[in-house]
Amino acid sequence: MDYIMLVILGCAVVTFIPRLIPALFIDKLDFPPKVEKFLNLIPYTALAALICPGVLTVDNHLWYIGLIGAVVAAGLAWKKVPLGAIVILTVIILIGVYSFVSFF
Amino acid sequence: MIISRTQKFIDGAKKAVPITLGYIPMGIGYAAIAINAGMSPLETISMSFLVYAGAGQIIAASMVLTGATAMTIILTNFVVNLRYFVMSTCVLNQVEESNTPLNILAAHVTVDESFAMFSLSEDSSIWIYLGIAITAWLSWCLGAGIGVVLLDLLPVIVTNSFNISLYALFVAILTPAVKENRQIALIVLITAILNIVLSQFLGNWSLIVSTLVGAGIGMYIVDDEYLLGSDD
Repeated sequence: MDYIMLVILGCAVVTFIPRLIPALFIDKLDFPPKVEKFLNLIPYTALAALICPGVLTVDNHLWYIGLIGAVVAAGLAWKKVPLGAIVILTVIILIGVYSFVSFF
Repeated sequence: MIISRTQKFIDGAKKAVPITLGYIPMGIGYAAIAINAGMSPLETISMSFLVYAGAGQIIAASMVLTGATAMTIILTNFVVNLRYFVMSTCVLNQVEESNTPLNILAAHVTVDESFAMFSLSEDSSIWIYLGIAITAWLSWCLGAGIGVVLLDLLPVIVTNSFNISLYALFVAILTPAVKENRQIALIVLITAILNIVLSQFLGNWSLIVSTLVGAGIGMYIVDDEYLLGSDD
């Protein structure tokens, strides 16, 4: 098989399997309250782990670019700006920061 | 019944709009890397459709560029995407009005963003989830499609700035919970520090280890009544 087709199909299979297993068995599982609590905590810890330290590698050469973006997004969310507007405004502000940095 | 399902699906699709605003530019960014790595436009788009894993695809395309073996790329993707097991379990544990075929479809379209958005939803119907997640999936593929067409027209500053969009969404989803609850804020801080430290030693495994250990520590820190999705 062609190298790239093998990569695509292989990645598709190994990505789908972890997603699929809960779909096949979830009906048979009745989680005790402690496990429910654990599962309810996952969204917070997963988001924290996705953001740190990944956000610092948004630009491989300028680590502070990602930090600026994260601070801007957090500030806008603090002020209860809608999610969609936060995404757009953060990107626009970063384009501004890049233009500023590349000016010097 | 059919109308209420359709209505819920549409409600879910509306909730996905902020995700699509991140996915379309991010999809363009992925397409830029994939095309640069020598993948054809069709291969670039079908990877988004079949694999559907933001970071996993970008890592895979970067590894194709460096000429890594298919086995290495596939194994790396397995590790990077293992977190979907946890997210799929959370989502499918929360959904109501579902059955196995719908669960399998829901499983394929489970990613960080659809999972996070659904965990905030007051209505736990499978149709809400499918509305969110399928809209997000299609926008990711659409982004790759726009990317392969528009690639040469966009300046580097713009494609670089697109990379922040998903992090902006993650931060925006997390901030209200951190603002309102100090216990959640503490567990978020602990997990972030844990992952910064562990990523030095564990590489790609660090994300899933930190997520699970962080939630384990949270069991002892966070009072039960503060949690989302606990409707009692």
